[in-house]
Amino acid sequence: MGKQVGAGESQIVNSPRILGAKGENMSTRIRTSVRFAATAVALAVVAVACGDDSKSSDATGAAGTQAATGGTTAPAPAGTNPAAAASGAGIKLAVNPWTGSAVNANVAKVVLESKLGTPTELVALDENAAWVGLDAGDLDANLEIWPSGHAADHKTYIEEKKSVVDLGLLGPSAKIGWYVPSFVIDQHPELKTWEGFKDTTLAKLFATAESGDQGQFLMGDPSYVTYDEQIIKNLNLPLKYTVAGSEAALITAIQQAETDQKPLLLQFWQPHWLQSKVKLTQVELPSVTDVCLASAAAADGKYACDYPVDELYKAANAGLEAKNKAAFDFLSKFQLTTDQQNEIAAMVDSDGQTPDAAAKAWVDANPDIVNAWLG
Amino acid sequence: MTQAVPALPAPATTAISRRTLVRLGAGAAAIVAIVMYKITRGQDVPTWLDLHVQRHAQGAYHWITQNTGRNLVLDAIKSIGTGITWCVKRALSLLRVLHWTGVIALVFAIGYMRAGLRTAVFAAAAIFAVGLCGYWDLTMITLSIMTVAVALAMLIGVPLGIWSGLSDGAERRLRPILDTAQVMPAYVYLIPCVAFFGIGIPAAVVATLIYSVPPAVRLTSLGLRQVPVVSTEVGRSFGSTGPQLLGKVQLPLARRTVLLGLNQVIMMAFGIVVIASQIGTGDVGGVVLAGLQKLDAKLAFSGGFSIVFAAIALDRITTGERALRHGRPVTVWIVDRRRMWAAGLGVVVVAALGAKVLSVQDFPSWRVGLGSWAKSAIDWLNKHARHGVPLIGGTDSINTFFVRDVLNPIRGVLQSAAWWLVVVFFAVIGWISKGWRLALLCALALIGIAAMNNWDLAMDTLSQVLVAVVISVSLAIPIGIWSGRSRWLETALRPFLDTAQVLPQFVYLVPVVFLFNVGRTPGVIAAVIYALPPGIRLVSLGLKEVPYAPREAAISFGATPRQELLKVQLPLAFKAIMLGINQVILMVLATVIIAGLIGGGALGLEALGGFTKPNLKMGDGVAAGVSIVLLAMILDRLTQAWGNRSAPENRKS
Repeated sequence: MGKQVGAGESQIVNSPRILGAKGENMSTRIRTSVRFAATAVALAVVAVACGDDSKSSDATGAAGTQAATGGTTAPAPAGTNPAAAASGAGIKLAVNPWTGSAVNANVAKVVLESKLGTPTELVALDENAAWVGLDAGDLDANLEIWPSGHAADHKTYIEEKKSVVDLGLLGPSAKIGWYVPSFVIDQHPELKTWEGFKDTTLAKLFATAESGDQGQFLMGDPSYVTYDEQIIKNLNLPLKYTVAGSEAALITAIQQAETDQKPLLLQFWQPHWLQSKVKLTQVELPSVTDVCLASAAAADGKYACDYPVDELYKAANAGLEAKNKAAFDFLSKFQLTTDQQNEIAAMVDSDGQTPDAAAKAWVDANPDIVNAWLG
Repeated sequence: MTQAVPALPAPATTAISRRTLVRLGAGAAAIVAIVMYKITRGQDVPTWLDLHVQRHAQGAYHWITQNTGRNLVLDAIKSIGTGITWCVKRALSLLRVLHWTGVIALVFAIGYMRAGLRTAVFAAAAIFAVGLCGYWDLTMITLSIMTVAVALAMLIGVPLGIWSGLSDGAERRLRPILDTAQVMPAYVYLIPCVAFFGIGIPAAVVATLIYSVPPAVRLTSLGLRQVPVVSTEVGRSFGSTGPQLLGKVQLPLARRTVLLGLNQVIMMAFGIVVIASQIGTGDVGGVVLAGLQKLDAKLAFSGGFSIVFAAIALDRITTGERALRHGRPVTVWIVDRRRMWAAGLGVVVVAALGAKVLSVQDFPSWRVGLGSWAKSAIDWLNKHARHGVPLIGGTDSINTFFVRDVLNPIRGVLQSAAWWLVVVFFAVIGWISKGWRLALLCALALIGIAAMNNWDLAMDTLSQVLVAVVISVSLAIPIGIWSGRSRWLETALRPFLDTAQVLPQFVYLVPVVFLFNVGRTPGVIAAVIYALPPGIRLVSLGLKEVPYAPREAAISFGATPRQELLKVQLPLAFKAIMLGINQVILMVLATVIIAGLIGGGALGLEALGGFTKPNLKMGDGVAAGVSIVLLAMILDRLTQAWGNRSAPENRKS
């Protein structure tokens, strides 16, 4: 160790502890009294803080919602205390990071609080963490699950452990598929179907540094189900499967392709807010057959069809029915059509309302639908 | 411990002959390696080596999912989570009771007490800037989570660091655990944390803790080991007992390094905010995610800067002392200190009550458009940096060059070489670097990776790490040396280093993708951005810790500044510099792994499986995580060995 005698000495002399030791004797009395006063004040502050607890935990929930929806307004609305006639235990709903999920959860929250008097907290989190929360009862329900990405979770928690129950379909359906920016189709109409990609020169339009000589197929968020590798192989297409790794990277790639007018082939889905901002065209793949469904179930690697339609569904913690029957019944009946969900989502995405405000406005304007859920 | 006098150059004749010998040997070895590579290329890992870690880990996770809520041990673990939530809620209530005025006053008071007016004003301004970003309350949630996580990290880390600083055996035993904690991608353990501790706050605190505890242990240990032998000898000769020696001599002298540890803990902890917000913390990290998901750079940066300012404020008031004049505390205060604490407390209470009385409890609607500025900057870069830049062509062509001419060839060689040849190659390097022990470790770690059944992915990751490390180190050392010798540069660099280290990687991952396309290049660039700050810091700290006496001696013997740097300062700072390089490597690896989110693929994408499809791919995630740790160990031990080898004390023998 390259330490020198002189340096060691000077460090000792400069050490605050050792200098401080002299001062300590002189001011022991002052120190004790000040310490006492400080402790007392600190305790008082903590006591006040504790008294504030119910309010603050409520505001945590509100804040979570805002983070989930990216509301640009400053947060910290102290807890909007639900109707005085609170009946039944409070519940927690998951909000996954997309507008549809925020819309469903907020509509349900408005109804739960205003009609059923159930205090409802929204928790913004990833869809996979939501399953673990549903299992443990940290969450009571998740109102929008895309089945294709969660077959294993369905099996683990709903079928095997029975800690989560299926609450039935939400109503809207979703669809994963192969997409290209529409300008690509304008230039090369034959790329409208998968057969166009058999042409190596056309496929090569999609080449990037990462894909080398072949065209690049970009898969996005790894939490989505993917048959793309199988489809490419089984349809014998000269494409290289690459993974962007996240939705954010995927939409960045789309935006970049749009700016540069550079061809891009990717896995994408509907509904998605970007669909209304950037023109994307779905590439036709062979239609879904029983053979394909069978090979998907068997995971034999022979899948060569389009993606099946995703019928969105709801799930709840198995204890919800016992905990709050009214809320459980309502959430079981709760359904939106695709149009209704799009309508509310547009109020958020296009008109810039918060999901909370949009949900309130929509519930007020549609008493019949709401009453049908409660009947 | 030897007295380190700058090493005298060895007699010229032996140096030359030895050097020639080494060169000849290296040349011969290279030829042998190339011939071997050509003959044996393409030999894959045999299937019998596969330990089926994926299947076993998946089975273990499945057991956990089937037993949470039904098993006493798991329930007990979950109650820890409840305790953590309680602490965080208390901290948050306190921050909310203080209102924004009280929080600012608190930061100011602590800053003033610990480091003086300048630091206090700076820290208070930073926390005020949090409000200007527009997410005051969400940032307070983050701040309370961070406070609890950092406090726990220090409570666990400092005692472990003392243990490891006093005992070589302890250091050896702790090291693999620390490596694992620091290198294992958070995405592997995030979902298990949720299963064990509950969604949201408790899981986030535990995940933050795991990630941020290593620097506390490492730097406490380093601090104790750097205490001059003379000081402990003096303490001993006055009859100090072990604990006395520790409390009155060793710890006070190690204080600066321990505080640097605290600084690093805070920085690391804030680095995980955005990832943690994915499990339901409901804090400002969610704003960043929402911004990225909506391609709203303004939103992402507003959230990102809130995190940066909060971290800077926390950093300044905890480690502000370092900014004092030449590390000397201002003695005038010592007597008055207690009275000042009381005064500070009074100011805070008055500020908090003032907000209530004047009914300005919420942060006013003053805003500074940092997010918009960042967005404009990115838009400008998008427009002008991607194509048509004179000479270099633009980021687009840099990406193409990088992928085709740098990353692909290196990956190609690593992947196509016979797997056992790579094992032998690293074992030989280990043997040359330190001896058979290191050779064995390198070989075993690589065989371990082979046994995880993701050899090709590991080689892909390794190629990305090598490239990013070479770039980072060749930037960090000169900048670190310069900033260690120039006070103004250090001051000027500090905000940039803080920002680069604390700005959530997510925030700049996406702009980097914008410039360099989805793929491996943006990951390498992001890794360099992330790894530079600790590299620069530790190099510059190492230079500053060099005692003045030998430098003065060198100067009085007529050494030029250059000689003084090369022959005195650098050799004496070698250990700290190697620690810097070591940190660079670990952080590069961490980022290359996170770059799985932006097309980096390889082990990073595989590890992500534990988060994106836990009930299907947790096993894959764990296996990838273990491979990453093994890879890190090889790189870490090799650099450490090089450090110790060329350190002055060894050179003499």
